[in-house]
Amino acid sequence: MNNLIEIKNVTFEYVEDDTLHTAIKNLNLNIEKGSFTVILGHNGSGKSTLAKMLNGLNKPSFGDVLVNGINTKDEETEIDIKRMVGMVFQNPDNQLVASIVEEDVAFGPENLGLQPLEIRKRVDEALKSVGMFEFKNSTPHRLSGGQKQRIAIAGIIAMKPLCLVLDEPTAMLDPKGRAEIITTLLKLNKEDGITVVLITHYMEEAEKADRVVVMNDGEIIADGKPCEIFKNVEQLKSVGLDVPQTTELLYEMQKSGFEVSTNILSIEEVAKEIKNALHLEEN
Amino acid sequence: MSILQVKNLTHSYNGNTPFVNDAVSNVSFAVEKGEILGIIGHTGSGKSTLVQHLNGLLKPTDGQILFENEDIWKNPKEIRKIRSKIGLVFQYPEYQLFEETVFSDIAFGPKNMGLSDDELDKRVKEICEIVGVKPEYLQKSPFDLSGGEKRRVAIAGVMAMRPEIIVFDEPTAGLDPKGRDNIIKIIKDYRKAFNATVIIISHSMEDMALLADKLLVMNKGNLEMFDTVDNVFSQGDKLREIGLNVPIVTRVFNKLKALGVDVNENVFTVTDAVNELKRIKAGDGNA
Repeated sequence: MNNLIEIKNVTFEYVEDDTLHTAIKNLNLNIEKGSFTVILGHNGSGKSTLAKMLNGLNKPSFGDVLVNGINTKDEETEIDIKRMVGMVFQNPDNQLVASIVEEDVAFGPENLGLQPLEIRKRVDEALKSVGMFEFKNSTPHRLSGGQKQRIAIAGIIAMKPLCLVLDEPTAMLDPKGRAEIITTLLKLNKEDGITVVLITHYMEEAEKADRVVVMNDGEIIADGKPCEIFKNVEQLKSVGLDVPQTTELLYEMQKSGFEVSTNILSIEEVAKEIKNALHLEEN
Repeated sequence: MSILQVKNLTHSYNGNTPFVNDAVSNVSFAVEKGEILGIIGHTGSGKSTLVQHLNGLLKPTDGQILFENEDIWKNPKEIRKIRSKIGLVFQYPEYQLFEETVFSDIAFGPKNMGLSDDELDKRVKEICEIVGVKPEYLQKSPFDLSGGEKRRVAIAGVMAMRPEIIVFDEPTAGLDPKGRDNIIKIIKDYRKAFNATVIIISHSMEDMALLADKLLVMNKGNLEMFDTVDNVFSQGDKLREIGLNVPIVTRVFNKLKALGVDVNENVFTVTDAVNELKRIKAGDGNA
C-alpha cells in the first residue's frame, strides 16, 4: 500500500444557527506517500475543513480517515496522528511561540520529550532545510513574512512528520516570500521525501505539483496533473477559480485563432509554444 | 492640479533613541484627480506606514502632505474632516466590523460626519448597490456573513463617507480568484460613480497591470520608482533586485525575445499580449 492518507466516504456536518450544514459530502481521496498535492477551491468550498481532517483536528461525521493505516477517530492514537501529519496555517504571527527562532523550532521536539542532544540536532537540521539556519538566534518579529512562515514550517519539520498540510501559507506574503515558501516545500518534498498537501488561492503555485484536486461545495470536481486540470479554463472559472496567467494567455490566443495547446504551464515552455505557433503561421 | 501632494515625507520610529529607524525616508510624489495609483514593494518596505500618513493617522516626522494644496496638518483639530475626504481601507478590514447590524456598521462613518437620518439611509443604500450587498442583509449581524461579504461591508463603511480619495491596503489579500475580481470591480465602480481618486497597495503585479495608471515602488523606506505602469514594468531586473517582479505574461514575452522572436516585450496584460502576437502574425510578410 502506497497511500499515506486514505479518506473513505467522508461526510462532515456542523450545526450553525440551529441548521445543519454539510461541509464535506461523501468524499473519497487517497494521498500517496511522497506526493505533492495542491487543493484548490473557492472560499467555503470545504478545503480547509478537509485539511483539518487530515490530522484529526476535524473528525468525520460519517466515514473514515486513515493516516498510515490508523483511523483518526481512534482516541488512543490521536497524538501519533498529529505527529505524522503537521499543519501550517495562513498567518505566521499566530504560529510562533518563542522570542528566539531556535527556541521556537525546539518547542515541538521538546514536547515530544526528546533528549537535549537530539533536539539540538533536529532544530539545526530543520532550520537548514528551510534555509533559515543563519537566523537561529534572531527574534521572529524582526523577520519578514516569508522568513517567519519558514520558521513555522521548520517547527513542524523538527517533529519529523511524514506529511505537511499547509492551509494558504502564502496568502499574507509578498511575491518573494511566496516564492521562498514554494521553493522550500518543493525541496522538502523532492529531497526529504515529505508528503505535501498545499491549499492555495494562487493558481501558479499549483504548477509544479504532482497533482491538483479541485473542490466545490464539499465535493471533488476535478483531480489530475496540473496541466490537465488547468486546460479546462471554462470549468475552473465556472466554480469561481482561475488559471495561471500562462494558461490564460494560451487560452486567449486559441480564441483569437492561434494554434496553441493550453496544457502547458511553465514560462519557458509557453514561450516555446508561442514561438512555434508564430513560425507555423509564417509558412 | 494634483489633488494630493506628498513632499519630503519622513517617518521615524523610536525617534530620539539609539534605535531610531526611518520607516519612510524623504518620499515625494503627487497624485492627480481621478487617477489610480498602485503602490508596490516588499514586506516591510514602508508601504503601509506611507499610506497611514495620507489621511492623518500618522503624523510625519518631517515633510508635508497637501490635500487640494493645503497641508492636512495646518489645523490639527480639523484632521477628522480630512479622514472623511481621504478614506483608508486597512488590510483585512472585516476584522474591524463591530456594529449590531450591517446597516449601522456601514452608517457609522457617515453618521459621525453629522449627516441626517434620511441622508444616511440614502448613502447606505447607494453604496450597497456598488458593493453588491443585498437590501435584506442590512438588518443582519455583520458576523453572520461570509468572509467575502464581510469584506464588502467593511469597504462599504469607508465608501459611504464618499471620500474623494480612497486608499486600499492589500484589498484582495486572502480572497479566492472570484472574490478578488469582485473587489477590483467594486473599486472601479466606486471611482466611476464619484470620479474618485484611488490608491492601492498590492502584491499582485498582474492586478496592478490591469488597474493602475501609475506605480509607486517602495524599497526599504525609500521611493525607488514613481512612473507609468509601462515604465516601471519595463525594468524587470531592477524590480527583481528589490524582491518584486513583472507580471507573468511579461516574463513569457521576455523569454520569447530571448528565444529570438522579435516582439515588443512591454506587454503587461493578457489582452495586450494577444494583440501584440496578432500584430506580429499580420505583419509577418514584411518582418
